[in-house]
Amino acid sequence: MKAFNYSPEHLTSNRRLFWIAAVLGVIMMAPVAWIIGLSLKDNAELLRGTEAVFNMPYTLVNYANILESSSVFGWFMNSMIVAVGQTFGVLLLSSLAGYAFARLEFPFRKTLFIIVLFGLAVPEQAVIIARHQMFNWFDLHNTHIGLILPNLSSAFGVFLMTQFFRAIPKEIDEAAMLDNTSTFRIFWKVLLPLTLPAQATLGIFTFLQAWNDYWWPLISATKSDMYTLTIGIASSQTNFAQSEGLGFLGAQAVFASLPVVIVYIFFQRHIVTAVSGGAVK
Amino acid sequence: MSASISIKNITKRYDSVTVLDDINLHIEDGEFVVFLGPSGCGKSTLLRMIAGLESITEGSIDIGEKRIDTLPPGQRGVAMVFQSYALYPHMTTRQNMAFGLENVKVAQDEIDRRVNDAAKILEIDHLLDRKPGRLSGGQRQRVAIGRAIVKEPKAFLFDEPLSNLDAALRGRTRLELAQLHQRLGSTMIFVTHDQVEAMTLADRIVIMHNQKIEQIGTPMEIYQYPASRFVAEFVGSPPMSMLPINSIENTPDGVTVEVSGAGKVVTAIVLPPEFNATNAVIGIRAEDTAVVAAEEDGLDLTIKVIERLGDRTLLYGTLIDGTDLIAEDSGRSKVKAGDMVRVSISPQAAHIFDGDGLAYHSQMEV
Amino acid sequence: MAESYRRSRWTNGLFVVPYLSVFLTLLVFPLGWGIWLSLNKVDLFGGERFIGLKNYARVLSDPIFGQAVKNTLIFVGVSVPTLVILGLFLALALNKTSKGSSFLRGLFFASSILSVTIVTLIWRIVFIPNDGLMSLIFEFFGWQPIGFLSTTGWSLFSVGVATVWWCIGLPMMLFLAALQQIPKDLYEAAALDNASRWRVLTRITLPSIKSTIMLVAIIQVVMQFQLFGQAQLMTNGGPAGSSRPIVMYIYEVGFLRWDIGMGAAASQILFLIILCAAMLQYWVSTRKEEVDA
Repeated sequence: MKAFNYSPEHLTSNRRLFWIAAVLGVIMMAPVAWIIGLSLKDNAELLRGTEAVFNMPYTLVNYANILESSSVFGWFMNSMIVAVGQTFGVLLLSSLAGYAFARLEFPFRKTLFIIVLFGLAVPEQAVIIARHQMFNWFDLHNTHIGLILPNLSSAFGVFLMTQFFRAIPKEIDEAAMLDNTSTFRIFWKVLLPLTLPAQATLGIFTFLQAWNDYWWPLISATKSDMYTLTIGIASSQTNFAQSEGLGFLGAQAVFASLPVVIVYIFFQRHIVTAVSGGAVK
Repeated sequence: MSASISIKNITKRYDSVTVLDDINLHIEDGEFVVFLGPSGCGKSTLLRMIAGLESITEGSIDIGEKRIDTLPPGQRGVAMVFQSYALYPHMTTRQNMAFGLENVKVAQDEIDRRVNDAAKILEIDHLLDRKPGRLSGGQRQRVAIGRAIVKEPKAFLFDEPLSNLDAALRGRTRLELAQLHQRLGSTMIFVTHDQVEAMTLADRIVIMHNQKIEQIGTPMEIYQYPASRFVAEFVGSPPMSMLPINSIENTPDGVTVEVSGAGKVVTAIVLPPEFNATNAVIGIRAEDTAVVAAEEDGLDLTIKVIERLGDRTLLYGTLIDGTDLIAEDSGRSKVKAGDMVRVSISPQAAHIFDGDGLAYHSQMEV
Repeated sequence: MAESYRRSRWTNGLFVVPYLSVFLTLLVFPLGWGIWLSLNKVDLFGGERFIGLKNYARVLSDPIFGQAVKNTLIFVGVSVPTLVILGLFLALALNKTSKGSSFLRGLFFASSILSVTIVTLIWRIVFIPNDGLMSLIFEFFGWQPIGFLSTTGWSLFSVGVATVWWCIGLPMMLFLAALQQIPKDLYEAAALDNASRWRVLTRITLPSIKSTIMLVAIIQVVMQFQLFGQAQLMTNGGPAGSSRPIVMYIYEVGFLRWDIGMGAAASQILFLIILCAAMLQYWVSTRKEEVDA
């Protein structure tokens, strides 16, 4: 007789469910495959009928066109500057504030933290009109700094970093205090290095958010040379009801997704931690 | 380098909850003192107050001639070994030990000398370039102690440092700590709930209970002359048996007490005339009993459970009135569960506790 | 006075000053300023005139706003249950350690990292009449072609399809995280108790993640109420406003018609709706902690 082999997934896994999910996965990927296919075809050939996607020949001409088009490359650089700037800004502000909220005592600490948490509940729509006016006053529209600033106010990073600092055992900073370490040195030399995984998580998350942001760049960057990639691609989409340039559009979509897809492939774990860490604990 | 510690009228309150109530304690220079007590008695809080990790509500703490409760933790000249060791995970052993010295700008060659010396004493020289993640529990423990030694502190504070080690390692580390104390001659304060650690390490034990100091004394004083019923029951294994007293009869050599319906116990304890027998009990340790022949004086004990420890045998039983008593017999005892045996009690070794828990002992040397 | 460990010092507060100054100038102030604007008739070239709640009255009596609210409610009412049920299904199906499951988890989450522009670009190309992937499929089966983006009734549906495709990753990941938290020994005990898979699902798994199901639903309600980019880019709210959501109404009034007071009023109304949903979320998550304790 064969011995019964208990597996931890004995009662929770089901082959049939898995295969249904696999089929859904294929359906999910079909549009993506379609776009990639289009991007590899000559536009003139697509004009005669998009069935051509299923046949040879394939070409990289659309991608070559993107690299030649100065505006797409400029938008890409704008997106990079904004996303990197926002990431560093958020990491810096959130780490400082998270450390203080998690570890230090100062007047009104609890009240301030609660107010910041309320900030999590404020949707962008509620502030965007007033923000737009304010940036008008200071002539910040159509500047990189104007694109970077608004999301630095997001309370999410502070909330996340406070959680991460709280998770470090208190004894570590107590030991540092007995070692005669100043408050700033405890932050900088002892605790900050321990939050590196958290910094990566928050950093990658912020980068993706900034890269994909649509609302604010839409109303703030109105000159085409200040477009981010998101807005630039949206602007070039507006006139394609016909299938003119489908291959070029597809190539644009693929090209614009490349940075986030690469980030995703390498840092999937951090992204998942960031999105699920705050909600389910 | 090392110094005495004076704790005067220390009180600690969180809002309305009193955690420590008017604590007074003087620790001599070079003394090894253990704070012993059940969890929640305030022993760790007291240690952390000396370290400066908890604020004090009232009172003062002096180290040497200097009042230190007004100073931040790093300037008090104490070093602490945490229960979880609290090593800096991203620093190597050497960096961990050097960090505190760098903070106060000790010269680099002096830092190197102290780190190397401490590493030699603790036999961790080969681990100096490893990070804590790659050290075993026992090795981390040594690094934590090393980090304390290099600071050449006026006093070492240990917060249950052995409780994360397995039993064998705990025993060995205990011995090494005792040796370290002899070698350094420093003032050391050690917090634990483990009475074996307290008995083996301490010059003096401070027993804490209910926010107060219950007794201060050498291990043998604590064991043989417990100041209260709490101390008597807390220290010693198996715990002291407590038999309710019915009546007391004075004799020239001490009192003879009548244990509720079960018989009489002769003691060498002289009670003051104002002694109040209400709720009083007589306390007997297992090793002060003996199984005797049925004709001799003693109490009849019905045995419920027998524990054979090899060198001796513990007999758990009940007296006629239902009171529990733990007695001891030789390792080769023939007693079985269910037997009734007669147990005699050494008159000098009994203790009497009045209704408030206050202890009375025999005047004679045991 | 004992001066020691973790004493409260105002200098410690310096650590929060950088963030708080950004928080105050870019979130708190605009929030208050937005409320003030909503009570004013705002001239684009400077000057506000206080008109009380008139902007709110104008918004609420605007049939286009009414239609946008209706569209948004329908959209939320259909997309949120779809996201929750589909997300739960995927989490249950893929809560395994096998390589295939881990690959599929990565796949289903991957769309979430794309920007709304890319997502809508993909789906517009898929939905294009005659040459789109959809029309090819319909042609293949010999079905009547549908103008997915240009037909009343289908346009909002198509926006919903793209939205579910884009957003399914987060609910799935949250459910997976919750499933991982269920202690393994519960299942071992169930195995010894002869429980069937169905009973394990309904009596152990689902009750254990009950609060997460609520949480995910509320997060999605808050998110889907803010529908904007998909509708704007795929259908531009059309045809005949049949797919215009509230946020797009705000955008049009505030940034295309430059009626700033009215746009601000509409955004405060939306904020109020979302705030109610967020309060509900807070209430659910704190209640969950009590149960855990």
